[in-house]
Amino acid sequence: MSMQPHSKKRVCYYYDSDIGNYYYGQGHPMKPHRIRMTHNLLLNYGLYRKMEIYRPHKATADEMTKFHSDDYIRFLRSIRPDNVSEYNKQMQRFNVGEDCPVFDGLYEFCQLSAGGSVAAAVKLNKQASEICINWGGGLHHAKKSEASGFCYVNDIVLGILELLKYHQRVLYIDIDVHHGDGVEEAFYTTDRVMTVSFHKYGEYFPGTGDLRDIGAGKGKYYAVNIPLRDGMDDESYESIFVPIISKVMETFQPSAVVLQCGADSLTGDRLGCFNLTVRGHGRCVELVKRFGLPFLLVGGGGYTIRNVSRCWTYETSVALGVEIANELPYNDYFEYFGPDFKLHISPSNMSNQNTPEYLEKIKNRLFENLRMLPHAPGVQVQAIPEDAVNDESDDEDKIDKDERLPQSDKDKRIANDGELSDSEDEGDGRRDNRAYRAPQRKRPRLDKEPLQIKDDLKPDDMKDDVKNVSNAEESKKDMPPNP
Amino acid sequence: MVLAERSNDVRNGKRSRGPSPNGHGSPDSSSDEENVVPFAAEKIRVGRDYQAVCPELEPVEARRPDLISDRALLVWSPTTEIADIKLDEYITTAKEKYGYNGEQALGMLFWHKHDLNRASLDLANFTPFPDEWTVEDKVLFEQAFQFHGKSFHRIRQMLPDKSIASLVKYYYSWKKTRARTSLMDVVGEGRNAASSGSGKKESGTTSEPGGSDKESDNDEKGEGGGEGAGKWCSVCGIQCTHTTPHNSHKLCQACLVHARRTGTMRPLCGPSGRRGPGSKQQRFKHRLPRGIYINHDDLVAMATGPQPGELPQPGLINQGEAILKSMDREIISLKRQVQQNKQQLSAMKRKVGDTGVEDYRPGEPPAKINSRWTNDELLMAVTAVRKYGRDFQAIAETLGTKTEAHVRSFFISYRRRYNLDAVVREHEAERGNTHHIQAGTTSTESADTADSSNAKNGTASPTTSKDEKTEVDSEGVALGASAEQGGPPTTPPKHKPSK
Repeated sequence: MSMQPHSKKRVCYYYDSDIGNYYYGQGHPMKPHRIRMTHNLLLNYGLYRKMEIYRPHKATADEMTKFHSDDYIRFLRSIRPDNVSEYNKQMQRFNVGEDCPVFDGLYEFCQLSAGGSVAAAVKLNKQASEICINWGGGLHHAKKSEASGFCYVNDIVLGILELLKYHQRVLYIDIDVHHGDGVEEAFYTTDRVMTVSFHKYGEYFPGTGDLRDIGAGKGKYYAVNIPLRDGMDDESYESIFVPIISKVMETFQPSAVVLQCGADSLTGDRLGCFNLTVRGHGRCVELVKRFGLPFLLVGGGGYTIRNVSRCWTYETSVALGVEIANELPYNDYFEYFGPDFKLHISPSNMSNQNTPEYLEKIKNRLFENLRMLPHAPGVQVQAIPEDAVNDESDDEDKIDKDERLPQSDKDKRIANDGELSDSEDEGDGRRDNRAYRAPQRKRPRLDKEPLQIKDDLKPDDMKDDVKNVSNAEESKKDMPPNP
Repeated sequence: MVLAERSNDVRNGKRSRGPSPNGHGSPDSSSDEENVVPFAAEKIRVGRDYQAVCPELEPVEARRPDLISDRALLVWSPTTEIADIKLDEYITTAKEKYGYNGEQALGMLFWHKHDLNRASLDLANFTPFPDEWTVEDKVLFEQAFQFHGKSFHRIRQMLPDKSIASLVKYYYSWKKTRARTSLMDVVGEGRNAASSGSGKKESGTTSEPGGSDKESDNDEKGEGGGEGAGKWCSVCGIQCTHTTPHNSHKLCQACLVHARRTGTMRPLCGPSGRRGPGSKQQRFKHRLPRGIYINHDDLVAMATGPQPGELPQPGLINQGEAILKSMDREIISLKRQVQQNKQQLSAMKRKVGDTGVEDYRPGEPPAKINSRWTNDELLMAVTAVRKYGRDFQAIAETLGTKTEAHVRSFFISYRRRYNLDAVVREHEAERGNTHHIQAGTTSTESADTADSSNAKNGTASPTTSKDEKTEVDSEGVALGASAEQGGPPTTPPKHKPSK
């Protein structure tokens, strides 16, 4: 196993060995087992031993009601498969029963997932770690008093609320294929949390995430939505992710970042419709990591579980700054990864309906909005985030060099397109019944709308933004912290 | 979402009361266009019932980070004290000798504050919680699963002492291995299909009918001639390590005991299937595939419980299970080794890079290429045909002094003289054989089916990438198959130095 170190970080990982034992129900695509598969891969790759491993406490009702309403949590605590008949009315009210079924141990599952994210946030607050990971979290659809899209308790919101005690501004980035509506809604009216969500939009669950949804009240311009079409590939994704995130970092200047790594944006997902590879997905983690801010990584969607565990394993290695071999080590669930038994996956040949022009238009529209932020461009050299860690600079070049494998390795990756029918899943989960039919609605008319491209925001300038920002930070390194 | 059909109406109905009066959060964003849309679809709602209340930022002076509890239990922290290799060794011992899993092993080390010696010594004092799934449980689960599918609640009615969590956990570790149908069944099925004539999948698996025929031929020889080092009981025809001469027969332990006790030969109902007395046809119905044999001693050990002399200790697994367990452990450790080897190979390959080997190849002046064939070259060419068949490019590369065109013309002009067609046939026969063996060996462990399919690819199409072939090659070595045969015919010799 070749492991070349680059930019080492102290990484804490939160996992409870019970989490894989919860079962949403027959035919349900959400499988907590994927978290255990990830864990097992990490262990056998030897990544486990490089991190601090924590078993999180179960979040208490008190902790969960920091965001959720009391009666909703009370309901979650008392509902069981054998007493659903007594709770018919409340189940309707809290949207529990269909997408979000009542299953055995539901409340404990929520406690573990939330407990991990809260504990991770606490760890970051204590500055005892630079990166915290909770693959059991990331349940971004859950609302204050309502379950939604397989999510009951919004561990992300709880984690961010914890971070807000020590951080003036927290950035939330969501690369799940679905819109991060729960988190966006929770922080829709505040300027302390900016939510940035990249998602499939148009006749797709949950139906929110229009480009024009930008936040309300004090939070206006603090919600950023990047609506995308089917077939996003690595290249297009990076072409929109890099400039947007760089601009957001520059204008919003957060002091902590939460990244929801929903793996349903990978190619061949049972519910998703993007065409990202593990590498392209992990690239987002790498890019965010480079900003050197306290960093919370959470899981999320992901319904082709072998790819989910591949993806999160790779992203853990990225967080650690450790290189891992493309050949999977033998592990408890080795058979799931056939026939190739490799870490990386190949994209399918699906067409990418996101033209460069389309992405360009979105980008420019979003830049317009970001300019409206109070500390808009021009005040670049401002307060340094109080606990930003800036030991990245010397590693910068190294990262660039070994971020791509030689061509031979790419060729070697065996395509498993014909195999996407999810051998590990039940036969009733065909991909074609995935589409959530949102109520009839016209597509966004942004194609017709006149777009203004400001001279100083030409696309070419944006490409180097990541670098520029980190350079800028580098120069600020020695300045005294300015709270 | 997946549950679309069901959830549609509920959701829409529910959502319709959802949006808050102030509905859309961005009043300025083209509100006139909004009216065109009859359904103000899904919207982010604004109001006290929807937003989180952000906590105040604690002033830096007031912060007491050291006083906040971690809300989590530290179970492992990394250490730089111990070298990776040492740690690997420790984990392997814990796994293979004491049945720990990796996590438990590291937990033990952490408990001993990263003191490797103390942890190693302590390993024996704690046995990890044994697998609480007995064979009966497993069989029951399988039956229940066939009946109820993944309704774990219903399955639990048949296994009331298991929790749902335990059932789910077992299900996930079982579901992939259940595909690991025993090779006996696979071969049996193939036979049945062939004999019944209808053939379930006539065209589907081309290798099956032809392959199994050949196999049975080979088997015939194998059993008759007693290939390999094992001895064969002349009554039940099963290989065992010890045979005892008795009344002009050589008997295995079981037959001997029977003969001594009853004075007659044991009736022929060996473990490899019900062989009706005398019916020779049935006798071959459930034959073992090539390369696999039943060791009678193991069978006897499996069937007998604890040794008669020993006190039957409750809780102690019987001999048979112990044998199976140790074999399982061996298989797993071999598989682990295979993957490790693969990782090492790819790491080395990456180090060498794409062109790395080229530099080290001895420079061969192109002037050497000569259209005249010397005797040595002719000899080499024939040998090469034996090895590579009609892959003229590979032959030319081996020779080094001829182009592909030269080899082609050699093949045509010397076809008769050296009986090259026969040589090619020989080559193909061998290749087919190898292929067969590989498929056979790998299918015993479904985990390696990929490799067998790789092998098929490799042998079938000479255009597959070279990297993949070397993989197959290495796999062959690791699995103990002959490297010479396992290597696809087109592997150019230049790869040899890189290994």
